Amino acid sequence: MSAAQQAPLVALRGLTVAYGDDAPALSAIDLDIRAGERLALIGESGSGKSTLALAFADLLPASAKTAGTIEWEGTSPLGGRDIGFVFQNPAGSLDPVMAVGRQVAEVARTHLGLSWPDALARACDLFGRVGLPDPDTLVHAFPHQLSGGQKQRVALAAAIAARPKLLIADEATSALDTIVQAEIVALIRRLAAEDGMTLLFVSHDIALAAELADRIAVLRGGRLMELGPTRQVIGRPQNSYTRSLIAAHIGLDSPPLFAAANMSAPANG
Amino acid sequence: MGKHLLTVESLSKRFHSGGRAVAAADALSFHIDAAETLALAGPSGSGKSTVARLLLRLIEPDAGSIAFEGDDWLALQGNALRARRARMQMVFQDPLAAFNPRATVARVLDDPLRIRRIAPRSERPARIAELLERVGLSPNLAGRTVHEVSGGQRQRVAIARAIATKPSLIVLDEAVSALDVSVRGKILELLADLQRTDGIAYLFISHDLGLVRAFAHRVAILDGGRLTEEGDARAVIDAPRSAVGKALVAATPRLHRLTGQDAS
Amino acid sequence: MRRRFLQTPEAVAGTAILVLLAAMALAAPLLFPGDPLRIAGPALTPPFQDWALPLGTDRLGRDVLAELFHGARTSLVVGLAAAAASLAVGAVIGTLAGFAGGLADEALMRLTDAFQTVPGFLLALAFVSIVGPSLSVVVAAIALSAWTGPARIARAEVLSIRERDFVAGARVVGMHPLEIAFREVLPNALPPVLALSSIIVAQAILIEAALSFLGLGDPNRVTWGGMVAEGRTVLRTAPFLSIVPGIALVVTVLGVYLAGEGAVEGAAVRKGLS
Ligand SMILES: Nc1ncnc2c1ncn2[C@@H]1O[C@H](COP(=O)(O)OP(=O)(O)OP(=O)(O)O)[C@@H](O)[C@H]1O
Ligand SMILES: Nc1ncnc2c1ncn2[C@@H]1O[C@H](COP(=O)(O)OP(=O)(O)OP(=O)(O)O)[C@@H](O)[C@H]1O
Ligand SMILES: [Mg+2]
Ligand SMILES: [Mg+2]
Repeated sequence: MSAAQQAPLVALRGLTVAYGDDAPALSAIDLDIRAGERLALIGESGSGKSTLALAFADLLPASAKTAGTIEWEGTSPLGGRDIGFVFQNPAGSLDPVMAVGRQVAEVARTHLGLSWPDALARACDLFGRVGLPDPDTLVHAFPHQLSGGQKQRVALAAAIAARPKLLIADEATSALDTIVQAEIVALIRRLAAEDGMTLLFVSHDIALAAELADRIAVLRGGRLMELGPTRQVIGRPQNSYTRSLIAAHIGLDSPPLFAAANMSAPANG
Repeated sequence: MGKHLLTVESLSKRFHSGGRAVAAADALSFHIDAAETLALAGPSGSGKSTVARLLLRLIEPDAGSIAFEGDDWLALQGNALRARRARMQMVFQDPLAAFNPRATVARVLDDPLRIRRIAPRSERPARIAELLERVGLSPNLAGRTVHEVSGGQRQRVAIARAIATKPSLIVLDEAVSALDVSVRGKILELLADLQRTDGIAYLFISHDLGLVRAFAHRVAILDGGRLTEEGDARAVIDAPRSAVGKALVAATPRLHRLTGQDAS
Repeated sequence: MRRRFLQTPEAVAGTAILVLLAAMALAAPLLFPGDPLRIAGPALTPPFQDWALPLGTDRLGRDVLAELFHGARTSLVVGLAAAAASLAVGAVIGTLAGFAGGLADEALMRLTDAFQTVPGFLLALAFVSIVGPSLSVVVAAIALSAWTGPARIARAEVLSIRERDFVAGARVVGMHPLEIAFREVLPNALPPVLALSSIIVAQAILIEAALSFLGLGDPNRVTWGGMVAEGRTVLRTAPFLSIVPGIALVVTVLGVYLAGEGAVEGAAVRKGLS
C-alpha cells in the first residue's frame, strides 16, 4: 500500500454539517484522503455519505451550515476540473434535452480548452473507455433513450472528462450489472494507477467497496464508526455496526431469504 | 395458455436511434405462475426494463403475444385496458422519479383508489392509513410530500401504491437496488409476506445475482434482448451454463473471500 | 423566500410601485366616488391651483386625479386578466401539443406559428375593430396576441416531463391521459411559463393603452391611453394632460417588469438550493 506513506491530499478536521435546524447530518468528522489512494465510504441510507462527498467537492447546498475545516495540499482545487463528481442520481444530473455526447464534450471543452470537434472526439473515446457499446452512435442519443446503467456510465464519462485529480463517485455503479461494474472498477483502478487519480468511492455495497478500496470508512448517523485498511475493516471489524453490515450482506453464498419458505406455494397457482 | 398467470410468446421490440436499430427484446418467451417470483437478470442494456415496459403496455411491441389472466393482454385498449391495469402493477427503480414531485403520500395512494373506484371518497383516508400500515409505515406520513420521506420509506409507499389495486402481478424493476442492506432486507421481507398472504406474483428485475438467488424461485437471464438461460434460481446461479450467466456470476463481488469465513 | 425575493433594490422598487398601483386601483371608488367621467370643475384648470382638483381638469372639466386613479383600475384589470387568459390558453395548448405528440402536436404548433407571424398589436387591433370595443373584448384581443409564448415554453417543458417515470407511474395506475396531462404534467411545467407573466402583463398594459389611444378602448371606462389621446388635442396649451397619464404608464410597466425580474431571480436562487 504505497498510498500509506503519502501526505494527505485533503484533510478534514472536525467537520460538522447541518441542514436547516435538523440534527447534524455529519458530526465532527476527522478524515484524510491520501494522494493516490482509493477510499471507500460505506454506511446505511441517511448516514451522511453523500453529504460528506459533497463537502469534499464544496458542493453542499447553501442551506447547509458547516463547521470545521477542509485543508487541501497546495492550492484549493477547482470543482469540475480538479474534482470529478459522479452524482448518486445519474438521470438527474444529465440534461434531458441535450445529446449525451455534447454534455460530456462540454466538460472537456470548458476545462481542457479543446475545440468542439476535439471535445466530441474525446467524448467518443471516453464513451468507449467506460464501456458504452457503439460510442459513435450513442454520443448522439438523449438520456431517455439510454438504459439506467448506460446513463450512469455517461455520468462517469463526464466526471473524468477533464482528467480530475480526485474522482468522487457517489453510488456510481449501483445501477450497473456486475460485468460492467467489474469493468468500471477496473477502469477506475487503471485511471487511479495511470493518471495518479485519487478516488473517493461512496457505496452501500460493502462487497464492492471491499474489492475496490485500499481503505474503508464506515459512517452511521453522521459519525465515523470505523476507518482502516480494507482487509482489517472487513476481516477483523472492531465496531459492532460494521459487523452487522457484513452480516446483512446478501452474496452468492447466502442462504435463500424467503423463497424457500414459499417454494411450495406456486403449485396451487 | 390459461394455465399460467402470465404467458409471453416471441415478444420483440426494436428501438431506432441515430439510424441504427437495437433489438431490446428479441423473440422472448417466458411465463410466470401465480404467487411465483421470476427474476429477470442480465447485463445493463440487455432489455430488462424494456420487457417491464412492454408488459405494462407503456410501450408497444413489434411482434409477439402476451396472455395475462386469460386475456389477450395486447388486444386491450383505452378504457378496457385502464380498468385491467389494476391487476398488473410496477415498482420503479428510482422512487423519487416515479412520483409526481408535487404529490403527497396521501395523494399517491388516493389516485389508484379513486381511479379504480375501490373506495368512496369518505372511506379513502381510512384505506390509505390501512395501506400505509400494511407496508409498515406510520399513517402520519400521509400528509408529507414524497420528498420529505427517506428512500426506504419512499419505496414502501411505492409498494403500497402497487398493492392498492389488488394486483396479481407486480413488476419490480430494480426496486431494491438503490436501498441499503438493512432497509433492503425489510422490503424483501415485506414483499415475501405479501406473496404469502395475497398470492402476488413478481417479475423481479435485478442485476444483483446474490439477491436473485436468495429471493426468486426461477431466473431468466437476458442478453442483447434474447433469453439465454432459464431455470431454478439457485441451480442456474450456482452452475450457469451460458457465457453471460458465467460472466455475471464471476464478476459478482464476494465479501466472504476477505472475511475468511464462509456463510454456507 | 420572501426575504430573497426582496433582496435586490430593483425588486424592492418594482414591488413598491405595484403595491402603490394596486392601492390606487382599490382606493379609486372610495376616494373618488361616482363617475370619474363627470364634470368636476372649470375646463382646463392647471394642476396645483385648486386643492379640490390637485391635478387640475381636462378639456371637458373632468378631474384628472380621479381619472388617473380609475385608469389605474382599468390598466391593472386588463393587464392581469389578459395575462391570466393568455397564460391559461398557452399552457393548455402547449401541454396538449407536447403530451399528445404526433399529428395533434404538429397541428397545434402550426397554429401557434400562424399566430406568431402576425404582430400582436395588429391582431388585437383587427379583433377589436371587428367585434367592437368593450373591456372583455379588449382582454380577449390581447390574450389572442400573447398566448403563443407561453404555449411554446409549456410544450418544451412538457416534452421533457412526459419521459419521466412518474408519468409512466400514472399510466400504470390507470389514470386517464387527460388527467395525466393536466394534473400530473401541467403543474410541473408551469414554473418557466409563469416566469413570462411579468412580460405579458407589461405588454398587455401597453397594448390596452395603445388601443385606447386609437379610440378602441372601452368607451365607458377611463383609461390612461384614452387620457393621453384626449390631451393630445390641447398638447400645446395643457401638456400635463398627456404627460401625467404617460408617466403613470411608464412607471407601471417598469414596476411590473422589475418585480417580475425579482421574482424570477428569487425562484432561480431557490431552485439552485434544492
Ligand atoms: N438538501 C438537504 N436538505 C435537508 N436535509 C438533507 C439534505 N440532504 C440530505 N439531508 C439529510 O441529511 C442526512 C444525511 O443525508 P445523505 O444524503 O448524506 O445520506 P446518504 O448516506 O448519502 O444516504 P443514501 O444512501 O440514502 O444516499 C439525512 O438525514 C438526510 O435526510
Ligand atoms: N426509448 C428508447 N429509444 C432508443 N433506444 C432505447 C430506448 N429505450 C431503451 N433503448 C435501448 O434498448 C436497450 C435495452 O434497454 P433497457 O432499458 O431495457 O436495458 P436494461 O436491461 O433495463 O438495462 P439496465 O440494467 O442498465 O437498466 C438499450 O441498448 C437501450 O439503449
Ligand atoms: Mg447518498
Ligand atoms: Mg433498466
